[in-house]
Amino acid sequence: MKDISKSINKVDNEEKISGKAKYVADYTMDGMLYAMTKRSSIAKGEIVNIEYPDLPKGYFIVNHKDVQGKNIIKMIFEDWPVFTEKNISYLYEPIMLVIGPEKSVLVDIIEHIKITYKEEKPIFAWTDSVIDYHFDKGHGNRIFDDADEIIEHTYETGYQEQAYIEPQGFIGYPEGDKTTLVGSIQCPYYVKNAVIQALGEKDENVRVIQANVGGAFGGKEEYPSLIGCQLAVAVKKIKKPIKLIFEREEDMLVTTKRHPSKTVFKAAIKNNQIIGLKAHVSIDAGATIGLSGVVLSRALLAVSGAYTIDHLDVSGDVYRTNTVPNGAFRGFGAPQMFFAVDMFIEHIAKSLNFDPLEFRENLLVKQGDRTSTNGLFREPVLMPNMIKKVIDESDYKNKIKQYSQKGNFKGIGMSLFFHGCGFTGSGEKNIIKAKVRLKKTKDGKVHILVAAVDMGQGIKTTFRKLIAHMLELDIEEVVFNNPDTDFVPDSGPTVASRTMMIVGGLLARAAKEMKSRWKEVTFTVEKEYEQPDYIKYDELHFIGDAYPAYSWGVNIVEVEVDPVTYQVYIKKSWSVYDVGKAIDEKIVLGQADGGLAQGLAYGYLEVMNHKDGKIMQKNMTDYIIPTAMDMGEMETYLFDNPYAYGPYGAKGVGELPLIGGPAAVAKAIESAINKNIYKIPVTPEYIMELMNND
Amino acid sequence: MVESHIAKTLEDALKTLNSGKFRIVAGGTDMLIQNRSHTGMPIGYKDNVVYINLINELDYIKEDEDNVYIGATTRLETILKSENAPKILKNIIHEMAGPGIRHTATLAGNIANASPAGDSLVGLYVLDASIKCQSVDNTRIVKIKDFIQGVRKIDLKSNEMITEVMIPKYDFSRFVFKKVAPRLSDAISKLSFVGAIRIEDNEVKDLRMALGAVYMTVLRKEDIESKYIGQSIGELKNNIELIIEDYNSFIKPIDDQRSNKEYRKQVALNLIKDFIMKS
Amino acid sequence: MTEIKFKLNGKEQTLNTDPNRRLLDVLREDFKLTGSKEGCGEGECGACSVLLNKQIVNSCSVPLANVDGQDIVTIEGFSKTKEYQVIKDSFATAGGVQCGFCTPGMIIATQSLLNTKPRPNDYEIKIGLSGNLCRCTGYNLIIKSVKLAAKDGDGLW
Repeated sequence: MKDISKSINKVDNEEKISGKAKYVADYTMDGMLYAMTKRSSIAKGEIVNIEYPDLPKGYFIVNHKDVQGKNIIKMIFEDWPVFTEKNISYLYEPIMLVIGPEKSVLVDIIEHIKITYKEEKPIFAWTDSVIDYHFDKGHGNRIFDDADEIIEHTYETGYQEQAYIEPQGFIGYPEGDKTTLVGSIQCPYYVKNAVIQALGEKDENVRVIQANVGGAFGGKEEYPSLIGCQLAVAVKKIKKPIKLIFEREEDMLVTTKRHPSKTVFKAAIKNNQIIGLKAHVSIDAGATIGLSGVVLSRALLAVSGAYTIDHLDVSGDVYRTNTVPNGAFRGFGAPQMFFAVDMFIEHIAKSLNFDPLEFRENLLVKQGDRTSTNGLFREPVLMPNMIKKVIDESDYKNKIKQYSQKGNFKGIGMSLFFHGCGFTGSGEKNIIKAKVRLKKTKDGKVHILVAAVDMGQGIKTTFRKLIAHMLELDIEEVVFNNPDTDFVPDSGPTVASRTMMIVGGLLARAAKEMKSRWKEVTFTVEKEYEQPDYIKYDELHFIGDAYPAYSWGVNIVEVEVDPVTYQVYIKKSWSVYDVGKAIDEKIVLGQADGGLAQGLAYGYLEVMNHKDGKIMQKNMTDYIIPTAMDMGEMETYLFDNPYAYGPYGAKGVGELPLIGGPAAVAKAIESAINKNIYKIPVTPEYIMELMNND
Repeated sequence: MVESHIAKTLEDALKTLNSGKFRIVAGGTDMLIQNRSHTGMPIGYKDNVVYINLINELDYIKEDEDNVYIGATTRLETILKSENAPKILKNIIHEMAGPGIRHTATLAGNIANASPAGDSLVGLYVLDASIKCQSVDNTRIVKIKDFIQGVRKIDLKSNEMITEVMIPKYDFSRFVFKKVAPRLSDAISKLSFVGAIRIEDNEVKDLRMALGAVYMTVLRKEDIESKYIGQSIGELKNNIELIIEDYNSFIKPIDDQRSNKEYRKQVALNLIKDFIMKS
Repeated sequence: MTEIKFKLNGKEQTLNTDPNRRLLDVLREDFKLTGSKEGCGEGECGACSVLLNKQIVNSCSVPLANVDGQDIVTIEGFSKTKEYQVIKDSFATAGGVQCGFCTPGMIIATQSLLNTKPRPNDYEIKIGLSGNLCRCTGYNLIIKSVKLAAKDGDGLW
C-alpha cells in the first residue's frame, strides 16, 4: 500500500483557482436585504436615550428587544450580549442592525440614529482581574529558599490580528419555520447552538451551513456566533433573506484579536543551574471574558517550554478592559508563553555564561519526564535528532559564532517548542463529545459526515484521502461536502489542532468498521469520542495530563538588521516538525510555511495597538502582514513519530508552526544587535531604542 | 448627487473645469481611498468629478536636451519601463507600489495628492521638477516646492489641471533612494530619503538631499546644500556633524499609527549621515 | 448615468450606469463574475485583481469611468486560455492554494508577470506578487508555483 504521506492534488484546487468556489459574499438571493451595524461611539457608559429617524418602508431596526431567547452568546464563558441593551463596555460595541434593500439608505439611517450616553471613565490598565489561576509543580515557590541567585525578567507580547483575507460574514434566510445561516465559519455547531439559545428555538428550527472559508486562524472560531445570532434574530423577525458582510475596516476594528500578554519570570539558580521557575502571566481579555480563561490555561501549561523544570510556581490573571474583546488565534496562548520562556531560558544561559544551545539541550524534555502539571510525556521525544538536523542544514553553529562579532548586523536564532494537541484537559470528553458518521450509499460511495471545516488547511482533501486509503477506494468514491448541520453530526469545532487527530481518528475507527461490513449495500457507522484511559486531568487544580499528545518543532531563522534604519530582513528559515505522521506531506508543508510566516511576523512585523480603546491600525495599509517580498526562503523537514490514537499516527499540525516563530526571530535579532530582547513585535523603533543604550 | 464627466481630450477637460467646481480624477487610486464609501456603492466623492484618465494625448514621456517631460495620464508603470525617465524616479516607483497600483496610478496624481509621505515627491524635489498647470486661457509652470503648499494643499486653481511634469536632466555621481516602510513592498513610508551628489576631481559640484514624512511637506534645504558645494569630498565628510546639526532643527516628524517621531528623526539623520559618509 | 462601453472577457459590453461605481462592484453585481474578491477595498490586498489591457490592476480601485473603451479580463475569462491551464496546473502541483480567497488574484498577478517577464528570477517573482496578500501560505509555495509555471509554460508567453 502507498505511503499515505505521499501528496495528491488537492480536491478543491480546480474550483479555487478558477474563481468558481463560492464564498459567503458571492451568494445573492431573490429579495435579499442588507444589514449594517449601528455601534457605540464611546468605550464605557450607559445608553440613556435613542432617537430614531422615520424609517422608509421596507427598512427595519433589529435590537435587543427582538431577541426572543437569551440575549447572550453561548460559549465557554457567557458574557457577550447579542445586542447591547444598556451598558457599553467597548468602543464600537454592536447596538442594533439596520436592515433594508439599499445600502446607501442604511448608511443614511445609521447616521441619523442619535444615541445619548452617560459616559464613564474607561479602564485600560490591567487592574480588573476576572479570572486568576495558580498551580505548583514540585516544591513550587519554596524552591526559591534554596536558590543562591535569582534571575528575573519580564516579557511582553502585543496584539495580533488574524487578518484572514476574507472578512467575516453571513447570509441568513427563512425556510418555513427554520432559520438558516450560511457563513464563513470554523465551527458550525458553535453557531447553531448559540442561535438556538438566542432565538429560544427548537434544535430542528436552526440550520447552519458552511460557505467556503477564506482564512480563519481562530478569528472565525467564536466571533461568528455573535454576528450569526444577530442575523438570525433579524431573519426570524423580518422573514426575508439578509446578508451581513463586514468590510475590512469594520472587521479590524471590532473582531477578536490575539490577547496581549505580560509574563514576569523568576528563576531560582543554584550551582549555576535552574532549580525552579516562578511565572506570572497577565493577559488582556478586552471587554468580555469569552474564551480568555482557556487561553490563559494554555499559556500557563506551557510555562517551562520545551524544557523540564522540576519545581514551578505558576499563576496568571485575565484582566478585563474597555477594549475590543480578544479571542481565539492559532496557538491560543501558547505563542505568548513560548516566546517568553524560550527567551528567558536563553537569557539565563547568557547571564550564567553558558553556551545557550548546550544549556537548552541539557534541559530538553525527554520521554517519561513530567509535564508542568505532573502529567507524563509518554511518547518518544525526537527533539535531539530534530535539533541536529536543523543545525546541520542551516550551519547554525558556525553562523552563531561568526555573527556574534560586533558590527556585522547578521543574526541567527533558534526556537524549541511543542504544542499540546486537541482541547485542553477533559474538554473533548466533557464538553465536545464529538460524533462522526460514515455512510455508504447504494452507488458504493462513502459519505463523510462531520462538522469539520476546510478553511484552507486542506481537510477536504486529507479526510477523503484518509477514508479512501483505509477502504481502498478511489478518492472520487469518497464524498465530503461543506458541513450543513441538517446533515452532519456535531464532531466539534475546527480548532485546537484537533481535526485530524481527534475527528480523523474517529473517522478512521468508523472506516475500520465499515470495511469489515463492506458487503452490506447501504449503511451508516457512527463513532463517538472515547477518552484514552490514561488521560486524567484535574482542571481545577491543574494536575495530570492536559493533552493526549504533543507535536514538536524547531525553527531556525537568519536575519540581517540595517544599522541605519533598524529594519529587519528575514533571509532564510529552517524548520523541523514532528506531527506524528503527515496525512499529506505537501499540505503539512503548506501549513508549516504559513504558520511560520504568521509566527515570524508576530515577532517582528505586526504592530497593533489601541488609543483610548480604538484600534489604530484599522486596515491592511496600516496593519502590516508580510508580502511575498518579506518572507525569506523556507526549508522544512518532517520527522515521523506515529501516535497510537491518531489516524496513521497523525498528531496536531495547524497551530504548531506558528508557535516558535516569535522566539526564533527575536533571538536572531538579538544575535545581530547583541542586545537582549524582552518584547514582541521587535520593531525598528524598539531596535533603535535598544541600540541607543550602548 | 454629484456630477461626473469623462473627458477624453484635454480641451474637453479644461472646458469642464472652467464650467464649475470639479475634482480631478486620474488613475483614481488615492481619490478612492479618500472618498471610500461601502462595498456595492459608488465612490463617495463629495464634489463633482472630471475623469481625465482616458486623455491619450497626455499619456507620454518625451525628452529634449535639457528635460524629460511626463504627461499627466502616464502610468507609473510606463515611467518605470521607459528608457528616458530619470533613474532616481524609476528606483522610487519600483519600490513605492505593487504592480496593480503601478498600472493604475499616475505621477501627476501623486503630486496632486500632496501627501507628506508621497515617495515620488521626494525624488521630484531633488530633481528640481516643475509642474505644468493649464486652464482654458493660461499655461504656467511652477516649481514643485512652490506647487506643494502643505499637507494635501497645492497651488492649483479650480479651473486648472496638471498636464505635465518637467524634470531637468542631471548627471549625478551617486544617488540613493531609501524607502523606510514597515514592510518591503506595498506599504506607506514611515519616512523616505533621496540623496544625490556630483563629484568632479574630488570636489563636490552638486549636493541635494530630500526627506519625506519628517515634515508637513517634503523637506529639502537648498541653503544647507549650497554651504557644502565646492568642498572636497574629504572636507564634506569631516563636516558630517555640522551637516547633521544643520538639518536637526528642520526635521519635525509626528507620531502616528505607523511609527513615532523619535524613530523618524533619528533615522532621517542616520540616512543623511550614511549617504554623506558613503559618498 | 453615463454610457460606458468596454470589452469584458472578449465580449463588447455597454452599460448605462454611474461612472463612479467601482469596477469590482460592476463585475460582481452586474455580471455575476464573483471570482474577483473584495479583501480590503483600498488597493492593498490584490484579491480583486483583474487584467486591464493585459496588465494587473486592483478592480476595487478602478472607477468604471476609467474603463470606458478598455479591455478587461477577469479570472473567469482568463480561465479559458492556454496560459491559464499551465498556471493552474503549476499552482496545484506546487501547493500554492490554501483557503483560495487570494488565489484568483494570484493567478492574475502571475499572468501579468509572465506576460512581461516570461522567465522571471526569484526576486522578480516576489516583485510580481508583491501587491497580492496571502495569509495562509507564507508565499513559499506560491513562489514555487510561479517558477513551475514559467518552466512548464516556457515559450507560451
